[in-house]
Amino acid sequence: MSAASPPPAPPRGALERHHFLLRRLHSLTGIVPIGVFLVAHLVTNSSLIWGKAGLRGAHPELGWLDGGIAYFAEEVRWINTQVPHLLLVEIVLWVSIAFHAGLGVLYARSGRNNVARYAYGGNRRYAAQRLTGYVAIAFIFYHVATLRWGWTFLVPGGTHWSAEFAGSTLAAAIKGGQAGWTLMGVGVALLYFVGVSATVFHFANGLWTAAITWGLTISTGAQRRWGYACLAMGAALMLAGWSSLAGALMMDPASAARVEAMVGAPAGPGARQADAPTHVAP
Amino acid sequence: MAYAPPPSVPRRGAATPDRGVVFRIRRCDGPGKPSYWQEFEVAVPRNANVISCLQQIAANPVTAGGARTTPVVWDAGCLEEVCGACTMVINGRVRQSCSCLIDECAPREGDVVTLEPMGKFPVVRDLWVDRSRLFHGLARVRAWVPIDGTYDLGSGPREGPATQAERYVLSTCMSCGCCLEACPQFNLEPDEGRWETAFIGAHAISQARLFNEHPTGSQIKGERLDALMGPGGVSDCGNAQNCVKVCPKGIPLTESIAAVGRSVILHAIARFFRG
Amino acid sequence: MSQHRVIVVGGGLAGLAAAARVAEAGLPVDLFSVVPVKRSHSVCAQGGINACNDVARQQGYSEYEHFDETIYGGDFLADQHPVLEMTNTAPRIIDLLDRMGVPFNRTHEGYRDLRLFGGSLFKRTHFAGATTGQQLIYALDEQVRRCESEGKVAKYEFWEFLRPVVREGRCVGIVAQDMRTMQVRAFRADAVVMATGGCGMVFGKSTNSVICTGAAAARCYRDGVWYANPEMIQVHPTAIPGADKLRLMSESARGEGGRVWVPRRPLDERAPRDIPESERFYFLEEKYPAYGNIVPRDIATREIFDICVNQGLGVNGGNQVYLDLTHKDPEVLSRKLGGILEIYEKFVGDDPRSTPMKIFPAVHYSMGGLWTQFTRGSYAPATPLPKHRSASPPPIDARPGQGMLPGAPNNMMTNVPGLYAFGEVNYAYHGANRLGANALLSCIFDGLFCGASVVNFIRNDAPAGNPAADLPPAEFDAGEKRERERMNALLGTVADGRPDEPATNPYAIGKELGDEMTAACTVVRTGPRLEQCLRRLGELGERFARVKLADAAAWSNQSFAYARAIGDMLVLAQAIARGALERRESRGAHYRTDFPDRDDATFMKATVARCDARGVTSVALDPIDASLIQPTARTYGKKDDRKDPGKAAPAAARA
Repeated sequence: MSAASPPPAPPRGALERHHFLLRRLHSLTGIVPIGVFLVAHLVTNSSLIWGKAGLRGAHPELGWLDGGIAYFAEEVRWINTQVPHLLLVEIVLWVSIAFHAGLGVLYARSGRNNVARYAYGGNRRYAAQRLTGYVAIAFIFYHVATLRWGWTFLVPGGTHWSAEFAGSTLAAAIKGGQAGWTLMGVGVALLYFVGVSATVFHFANGLWTAAITWGLTISTGAQRRWGYACLAMGAALMLAGWSSLAGALMMDPASAARVEAMVGAPAGPGARQADAPTHVAP
Repeated sequence: MAYAPPPSVPRRGAATPDRGVVFRIRRCDGPGKPSYWQEFEVAVPRNANVISCLQQIAANPVTAGGARTTPVVWDAGCLEEVCGACTMVINGRVRQSCSCLIDECAPREGDVVTLEPMGKFPVVRDLWVDRSRLFHGLARVRAWVPIDGTYDLGSGPREGPATQAERYVLSTCMSCGCCLEACPQFNLEPDEGRWETAFIGAHAISQARLFNEHPTGSQIKGERLDALMGPGGVSDCGNAQNCVKVCPKGIPLTESIAAVGRSVILHAIARFFRG
Repeated sequence: MSQHRVIVVGGGLAGLAAAARVAEAGLPVDLFSVVPVKRSHSVCAQGGINACNDVARQQGYSEYEHFDETIYGGDFLADQHPVLEMTNTAPRIIDLLDRMGVPFNRTHEGYRDLRLFGGSLFKRTHFAGATTGQQLIYALDEQVRRCESEGKVAKYEFWEFLRPVVREGRCVGIVAQDMRTMQVRAFRADAVVMATGGCGMVFGKSTNSVICTGAAAARCYRDGVWYANPEMIQVHPTAIPGADKLRLMSESARGEGGRVWVPRRPLDERAPRDIPESERFYFLEEKYPAYGNIVPRDIATREIFDICVNQGLGVNGGNQVYLDLTHKDPEVLSRKLGGILEIYEKFVGDDPRSTPMKIFPAVHYSMGGLWTQFTRGSYAPATPLPKHRSASPPPIDARPGQGMLPGAPNNMMTNVPGLYAFGEVNYAYHGANRLGANALLSCIFDGLFCGASVVNFIRNDAPAGNPAADLPPAEFDAGEKRERERMNALLGTVADGRPDEPATNPYAIGKELGDEMTAACTVVRTGPRLEQCLRRLGELGERFARVKLADAAAWSNQSFAYARAIGDMLVLAQAIARGALERRESRGAHYRTDFPDRDDATFMKATVARCDARGVTSVALDPIDASLIQPTARTYGKKDDRKDPGKAAPAAARA
């Protein structure tokens, strides 16, 4: 009988002892909280483009883009008033991302990419999932460090992001300065484009594979249909991500700051941005 | 192992003349020895397959350059794609060499056929690899029905035709190893001591599903799922889904992986609450 | 008990069934196979496995009728008692396989589905898709893997059997070689079961796997084990000629309307579709207007052979004829014959829906094999009964023990005590011709039923007080030494040789052996041609004595193993040709143009070939056990008395 079968070798480390739990937590953290936050974050940020509609007739004097800046500023301001919750959310997020990233790197290193020989769609996505994972780790770290933890030495132009002037400081941080585009700023903008795209792909494709991992989509047909759903979701998120970025890039930081001040910022961002270089991008 | 049968009988008045095809073969004299490439030119009749060309090389082992060499060693059995023995990497893709027709893998004049041993298993010699780990995987998931013995105890469980059809497809797995060769998560592991925790691969996961679906086989479903929850189990799958693309029998391996994924999570939840 | 061990050589259906049964009885088993057991030739069986069943029984069929069909199909050459036990046990074997999880095809209500097969008017063939053999061997492979994981069976895969070790007339072990490391080693055992299958490779190309050389049986034969009915070789009429092997093409292609033809003009090089009707020779339809293309198997085989070999009318001058389905609706074809048409497409590259298939008969199965004994069961009618009338009440029921005595130590034991032969490698069940779907049955029956005999032999007979483990090493060492010498002698032929010199090239010798045996010892045989064949075998033997290898490697040397096997196949080929020469009659698969009729008075006996110490074959006729059924003419109710059992019901049969 099976009882007589040799018992499996005793697992060695904690990683092996809790193999299954860790694998499932890895998959789960990708969706909750990281994925959920990603959706909320990109939807909020993309309000730079669609926020005028969100104002529901308030500030009729503002144009479409300025309306977005205003709406975005109000949203961010509200979020940053929820201090204890926000802190909790941020800690959970950072722990989750660190966990997901750490195990992800470990798992990715267990595979050997063979797209050159087997160039099937699924295999390309497998390789892309790992590549975008690495990109996302680098991007998210840069993004959080510069804009949240205030590591301004990594920001061309040294802009310090402020929740009160969410749009204008973001634009300045990406474009390279308060005055507009710098060469380094182009690099940061590119990093954001690649980083946001990679993160969104990683999430959408991760949703697709998670449904297999958790046994939600079993038949090939179900996997295909869920694939289309993930594709649509990914496309929508990609659009949100790109429009957030476009909104920031199209913004003139100085005039945006005026809009933000008008809709309720206590004071201008000037004190912190006085040192910012003022040359104008070509 | 392959007893190479004699090369084909030359046909009188054949409609299409034989054409010369170059075979580029990655050879290795034994474990730990370096690999090297050799080229052979083979006169290929119409409808020849890779096996029949290897048989010609065995009978007259002379390289394209005219140098005498040793016959190329390869594994073969039924030659009708049902035993799985003659699996190798042909033109970069893993498949059975018996069902690989030359007119298909080298259709044009001057095409070269490249033969390599499977890369995920230790090479014994030339194109012959040791696939013991594959069978170890079957034991690891207890891929059998735990019957009480081989004496007469009456009929087996009744089964509807739909279930039979589903089990039959899974049961046609011939343990050839194509799914493992193409899998980016399954890698060469010569150390037998680590087979228990290295990724088991699609074939064994699918076999676990096959036996979990059998009424008597399901008696040890828990043991199978325990094995597949551990290191190297089903959660090590990276969903590249190459397995299902290269499976010569069209077995729905990715469906099996998902089905077992569902089983293990239910098993884990049940175990969490029941202890 | 623990010091006793059993060796099983061969991991096909018979070997695996034996290993499972013996291990279950508590005796440790060492299982040797030249391939991983899951890749054994049993995987190639397609059609199904015969057994009486409830549906057929209620229509009047019985285990006894299955027995009668098998004896009749075998043209009254088989010993009758073992066949009776086999057919009586068959339903229980199906049940067991069912319990093991074999995915037998099912009816809507969930019962096992059945198909019609040759030699019977009743549906009695159980099947799992078109790969029944594969499904059965996988089930047994799984059970043996379970035994292995419980430490009851040790597998030696990629090990080749070299010789039995015989001490004081008793088999006490084997010498085997690891085909990877080339290590030659003697293993001790209290009983050895040979389950090494058939010998299709003796005929060069056949429907068999490349491992079916018959070398293991030949090595036993060379060492004094008798070989019975070697001449009984089944040739299947329709196979796909390939450069490397001949793959079976199911007869259902003809059943669905396939027409067999060749161009009337020899060496006509036009594409088949360019040859007008008037220039096509539908030879079966012309010669057999009543049956046309669905004549019985042996007739079709002989006619196709005659067209190609004697008349030189084969397509492109080769050994092939057209099997044409292109006049049929492609959609209907796909629905009814999809599976087999895909095989043809895969291996030939042509679509049979638009291009006629090229087919030729191929050696398929060896009814003959190592000579074995048995102990009769309890059924003993005063005189043999007349042929059983179909669907009439059977004279006996199907209780165990009426055909063979269960557990009798000599069941399927060769003339060497302790050495058994199970499955295709013995000669016991199929007489002069095997019925379709009886092969899987005989293999599993041997393993299970006679596995118990092996256990009893060890517990109650010579090994009981004198286990092989305690014997002095002399015979084991000597066996090892002889095989090492044989190996070194062969490997030593490399240095001075020209490997591509046909006279001494093992592959050339092997090819000529296959060509010669196919020409002289398959479909049509004559005395003078067989004598010529024996002379030719002698010449090949002399050439083999001077064989030169191209590879001296002492690691995984396949051409060495191939060459060594050729030497043993030559010995077996002699027995086949000699048996065919001595049997001066026609019976079952053995057809002599110079003796076209069956001669029961002289030849209703087994041909028993014995090999003396000098390697010379002598053949004697031994009486058979025909005490249960009287022989009758094998006509299948047709006026033409050459109807083959294989195909009383033509179309429905194979899938």
